[in-house]
Amino acid sequence: MFMNTDTQYLHKVAESDYEHGWVADLAADTLPKGLNEDVIRLISSKKQDPDWMLEWRLRAFRHWRTLADDADKYPRWAHLQYPEIDFQNISYYSAPNSKPKYESLDEVDPELLRTFESLGIPLQEQKLLAGVAVDAVIDSVSVTTTFKEELGKLGIIFCSFTEAVEKHPDLVRKYMGSVVPHTDNFYAALNAAVFSDGSFCYIPPGVRCPMELSTYFRINEAGTGQFERTLIVADEGSYVSYLEGCTAPRRDENQLHAAVVEIVAAKNAEVKYSTIQNWYPGDREGIGGVYNFVTKRGICAGDGSKISWTQLETGSAITWKYPSVILKGNHSVGEFYSVAFTKGRQQADTGTKMIHLGSNTSSTIISKGISAGRSNNSYRGLVRVNKKAKNARNFSQCDSMLLGDRCGAHTFPYLEINNPTAQVEHEATTSKVGEDQIFYCNQRGISEQDAIKLIVSGFCQEILAQLPMEFAVEARKLLAIELEGSVG
Amino acid sequence: MTPLLEIQNLHASVEEMSILKGVDLTVHIGETHAVMGPNGSGKSTLAAILAGREDYDVTGGSVFYQGEDLLEMDVDERAREGVFLAFQYPVELPGVSMMNFLKQAVNSVREHRGQEPLNAASLLRLARRNAELIHLDPSLKKRSVNEGFSGGEKKRNEIFQLAMLEPTLAILDETDSGLDIDALRSVADGVNALRTPDRSFVVITHYQRLLDYIIPDFVHVMVDGRIVKSGGKELALALEERGYEWIREETSAVPA
Amino acid sequence: MTPSADITRFVTAFEHREAARNGSHFWLGDLRREAMRQFTTLGFPTRKTEAWKYTNIASTLRRTLATDVSVVSVDNARAAPIPGLDAHVIVFDNGRYRAALSHIQDLPDGVLVTGLAEAAQSHAWLLRRYFGRVADYETCPFVALNTAFTEDSAVVYVPANTVLERPVHLVHRISSGQDALVQPRVLVIAEDNARLTLIQTSVTTSAIPTFTNAVTEIFVGRDAHLERIDIQDEPDGASVVSSLDVTQDTGSTFHNSSFTLGGSIVRNNINVLTDAEHCQTFLNGLFLAEGASHVDNHTLIDHAKPQCYSSEYYKGILDDRATGVFNGKVLVRQDAQQINAYQSNKSIVLADTARMYAKPELEIYADDVKCSHGATTGQLDDEAIFYLRARGLTEKQARSLMLVSFARDVTERVTIAPLREVLDALITEHLGA
Repeated sequence: MFMNTDTQYLHKVAESDYEHGWVADLAADTLPKGLNEDVIRLISSKKQDPDWMLEWRLRAFRHWRTLADDADKYPRWAHLQYPEIDFQNISYYSAPNSKPKYESLDEVDPELLRTFESLGIPLQEQKLLAGVAVDAVIDSVSVTTTFKEELGKLGIIFCSFTEAVEKHPDLVRKYMGSVVPHTDNFYAALNAAVFSDGSFCYIPPGVRCPMELSTYFRINEAGTGQFERTLIVADEGSYVSYLEGCTAPRRDENQLHAAVVEIVAAKNAEVKYSTIQNWYPGDREGIGGVYNFVTKRGICAGDGSKISWTQLETGSAITWKYPSVILKGNHSVGEFYSVAFTKGRQQADTGTKMIHLGSNTSSTIISKGISAGRSNNSYRGLVRVNKKAKNARNFSQCDSMLLGDRCGAHTFPYLEINNPTAQVEHEATTSKVGEDQIFYCNQRGISEQDAIKLIVSGFCQEILAQLPMEFAVEARKLLAIELEGSVG
Repeated sequence: MTPLLEIQNLHASVEEMSILKGVDLTVHIGETHAVMGPNGSGKSTLAAILAGREDYDVTGGSVFYQGEDLLEMDVDERAREGVFLAFQYPVELPGVSMMNFLKQAVNSVREHRGQEPLNAASLLRLARRNAELIHLDPSLKKRSVNEGFSGGEKKRNEIFQLAMLEPTLAILDETDSGLDIDALRSVADGVNALRTPDRSFVVITHYQRLLDYIIPDFVHVMVDGRIVKSGGKELALALEERGYEWIREETSAVPA
Repeated sequence: MTPSADITRFVTAFEHREAARNGSHFWLGDLRREAMRQFTTLGFPTRKTEAWKYTNIASTLRRTLATDVSVVSVDNARAAPIPGLDAHVIVFDNGRYRAALSHIQDLPDGVLVTGLAEAAQSHAWLLRRYFGRVADYETCPFVALNTAFTEDSAVVYVPANTVLERPVHLVHRISSGQDALVQPRVLVIAEDNARLTLIQTSVTTSAIPTFTNAVTEIFVGRDAHLERIDIQDEPDGASVVSSLDVTQDTGSTFHNSSFTLGGSIVRNNINVLTDAEHCQTFLNGLFLAEGASHVDNHTLIDHAKPQCYSSEYYKGILDDRATGVFNGKVLVRQDAQQINAYQSNKSIVLADTARMYAKPELEIYADDVKCSHGATTGQLDDEAIFYLRARGLTEKQARSLMLVSFARDVTERVTIAPLREVLDALITEHLGA
C-alpha cells in the first residue's frame, strides 16, 4: 500500500544528500555534543552553505543565545511537564546514516513489528522503517524521477531545502523566515540556526499541482529530520496539496524535534497541508519518546487565498504544535482540522492561531482530542481579530473524549477581538463514550472493543474526511491500531 | 419441542425498587407474541432484561433461550445468538456511517454462525434489498447511524437492521410510539414481510393499534410486573374497548 | 517573583503599622504577618503572569496609594437602602464598620451581622475557625495584601438550620481625599442547612482616583443555600480588584450574580471550590464597559469531588474604548466523576475601538463528565434592528431595546424582585436608553 505507484504520492525517497558532497577533512559523521558559533559554522560548511545562509544562521543563533541565557524566556506556558532540556547535551548534526542499525528484523522491538503487520506494510519497507539493513532498495528513484519530470513541465519546483538554497537562492532568500522569523519563538530560533535540511516547494502562477506532494517516505534521510525546515510558496492562483508524515511509527534516535514549516499563499492561491504524526511515543512510562516542538505557520498574503491545515497526531511523548494562519489578504480563508490521540504517558498541547488582519477574512477550527491511559491532551488556540479586520468570521469547535479515568482533556481557547464587526463563535465539549451507544452496538453483535473503536472513529470522522483519500484510509487504520490496547 | 424462549417467574428490580414480580412467558419458534400493558407495568423492563441491559438487577427466576441460560450471556453474545431488540429510543452514533456499522454488525453475527463475511458489494446489495422491503429512504444509508433522523426514520431504521441481521428472536420495544399512521403502517409492513416460520417476535406495545397491522398469535397483558392475562388476538380488541382498568379489576380478585 | 520596588512600600507601611500596635495581641496578628510574608514572596502580577495577560494593573500599582485612610463622612443619602427591598443594611466606609449608619433588624437566634471588632468579642471562636481559611492568601498577592492589612471586616454568620428571611445588604462606600488603597473585607458563613441572601454594593464617591482591593470569603455548609448579588457601580478613576473565594460543602447551593457597571479598571476574581459531593454552583455575570473602562472577570470553578453541577453565564456589552475580558475556567479533578459543568460567555462590541478578550477553559481529569463551554462575540443583529424599525421604533430605541434585552438575560437570574427592578433601571440608564 505504501509504495503503490498508482497512488498520486510523490515519494521523495532518494533525495539523499550525498550528491552535495561532504567536506572531505571532516571525517566524523556526527558532531560532538554542544552548541556554539563554531558548531553553526561547521554545520554550514558541511551543508556548503553560501555566505548569506551562514549569516542567517548566525543571526538566529545569536538571538537564540539571548533566549537560552534568560530563564524567563524558556517556553513553559504550555500544559506540559517534562524535564528541562539540556541544549548543550545534544549533537546538532548527524550525516545521513548509511549504516544500518540492525542486522535483521529479529533484533527489532516485536511490538513495532506487530504494528507494521497490522498496517499491512510490506516486509522490505518494514526493514527500512525499523532501520534494518536492506539488500535491494525499492525502485523508487525512478518513480521520483518520473514525477519530477512531470512537475518540471509545469514549472513546479519540489526539492530538498539544500538543493533549493543552491539552485533557487532568490526564492529561498525572499521567503525563508518571512512567515516564521527566527525571533518568533525559542525553537524557531534554534531551528533557524541549526536546521539540516527539509523540503522546498514552489508552484508558479495559475498552476494546479496535479498530484499530492509528499515527504513521508524519506527513510534514508533519517537523522536529518531533527531540525527540518519546509517552505511552500504558492504563487497567484495556484493550488497544491502537501502531505507530511508516515502512518508507521518511526523509530528515531533523536529525542528533540524542532521543525519549522512556512507557507506563503499569494492572491487566490490555495494550499492544503496534511500531516500524520506518529513519532515514537516512548515506552509505557513515556521513556525515550520524541519531544515534538514544531512551528508551523502560513500566511494568506494575497486576497482570496486559502490555507488549510489538517493533522492526525498520535505519536511523540510530547507534542507542542500550533499550525497557524495569518489572514492578511482580504477575503482570505484559514482552516484547521485536527485529531490528537494520546495514550500511555503522552502529552499533547496543540491547536492553532488564526490571526485576522484583512477584511472579510474567515477561519474555521475543528479540533478533536481523545485521551486514554495516563495521557494529557490539551487544545490551545488563539483567534485574534485585529483592529482593521472588518467583518472577520470565526467558528471554533473543540471536542474532547476521555477513555479512562486517569487521563486529562483540556481546552484553552484565547479569543481576542479588536474589531466590532467580528463574529466569533467558540464551542467546546468534553465527554466520554456514551454507555447507551456501546449498548446499542453490543445489541447489534459488535463487541465492546469494536464499539469503542467505531464510536471514536465516528467522533473523528469530520477531520479524517479532510485528508486526501489514500491518506485517510491509512489514518483510519492507524487510529484503530492506536485504540487497540488502550481501551477495554 | 424446546421452546425458543422460556421465561419463568422472572423478578427484577432497579435501585431496590421491584419492577418485575414474577413474569412467565413461553415463546415457540415462528410465533408472534404481543405484550401489552399500561405505562409502568414493566413491559420495557422485560425487553431491556432480555437484551441484556445492566441497569436492572435480576432478583429471581430464569430465562432460557434455545435451551441456554440467556442471563449468563453478554449483550453482544445474545445479539450474535440471534436476539434482536428494536429500541424504543434508538441511539445516535455521530460520525459512524450506516454502512460501516452494518458491516461490523452483520459480519460479527455471520462469523458467529460460521458463515463467510460479506464483502462490500454483497453487503450493499443486501442493504438495498432490505431498504426497499421496509421503504427506508436509501439516502439514510449514507448518513451517520440515527444522527439527525426523524422519529419515524429511526424506527424504520431499527426494522431495517432487523432485516439485515436476520435474528431468531426479535423484540420490538414500543416500536409504534411516536409514529403517525402512515409511518406505523410501513413499519408494520416491514415487520410482516420479515415474519417467517423460523423467527419469533415479541411485540411490546401500549396501544392496540399496532396489532391491527401486526396480527399476533398470542396477546399477554402485563400489569404491575406480572402477566395477568393471556389470550388470542381478540384479547387486544377487548382491551381497546374496555381499557386496562377492566383487567385490573378482574385480576385483583384473583390471588396472585 | 522577587520583591520589587512595587511592594517595598507596602512592606514598610505594614511594619510601621505592626510596630504601632505595640505588641497588643490582636488575635489575627499571626495571620497578618504570615500573609505579609506570602505577599513579599509572591509580589504583584505582571502582564507575563498568565492570569493577568489581558489586564495591566501596573500603572495602578505605581500610584501613591496611601494605606492609612481615615474614615471620612460621606453623603449619607448614598447609604440608602434599595427601594422596595426589606433588608438588613450594614454600612462600611473605606472598609470600616459604621454601626450608626447600619440598619440591622431583629435577627433570628445566633445570627450575626456586624463588624470585626464586635464579632471578635462575642464570636472569637468563629473567626478563628473561618477567618482567612477560604480566602487564598497563599497564591493570590492581592488577597495576601488585603489579609496583611486587615483592620475590620464585615462578618455575616448564619448558624445551622437557620433561615434568614430578609437579605443582608452590605454597602461599601469608598471616599478619600487622597489617592488611597482601600481594602474592604467580608466573611460570610452559612452553616449546615442555613439559608442566606447577600447583596453587596460598592459606591465610590471620591473625585480622586482610588484603588479598592476587596476580599470576600464565603463558606457554604452542608445543604446550605446562599445567593449573593454583587453590584459594582464605580465612577471613572476607581480601580478595583475584588476577590471572592468560596468553599462549598455537601449538597450546598451557591448562586452568584455579579454586575459591573463602571470603573476604570475592574478585576473580579471568583474562585469556587466544591470540595464535597452534590454541590450546585451558579455564576452569572453582566458587565457594561464604556469610555476607557477595563473590566476583567476571572472565574474558577474547582470541582474536587464527584456529582456536582455548575453553570456559568456571563454577558458583556462594550462601547467606546472599553476592554472586556472573560477568563472562565472549569477544573474537574481526578475522581471527581459525574460532573456536569456548563459555561457560556456572550459579548456585544459596539464601537470600533472597543475590545473583547475571552478565554474560556476546560481542564478535565475525570472521564465520566459532561462539560461544555461556548463563547461568542459579535455586534447587534442588524436584521433585528431593521425589524424593530419597521415596526416604528427609532434606531436608538431599537438598539436600546436589543441591549436591554441582552442584559436582562442575566438580571432575570436574580431571584429578588425589587433588586431586579433596580438593576434593570440601572442598566437601562447606563445603556443610555
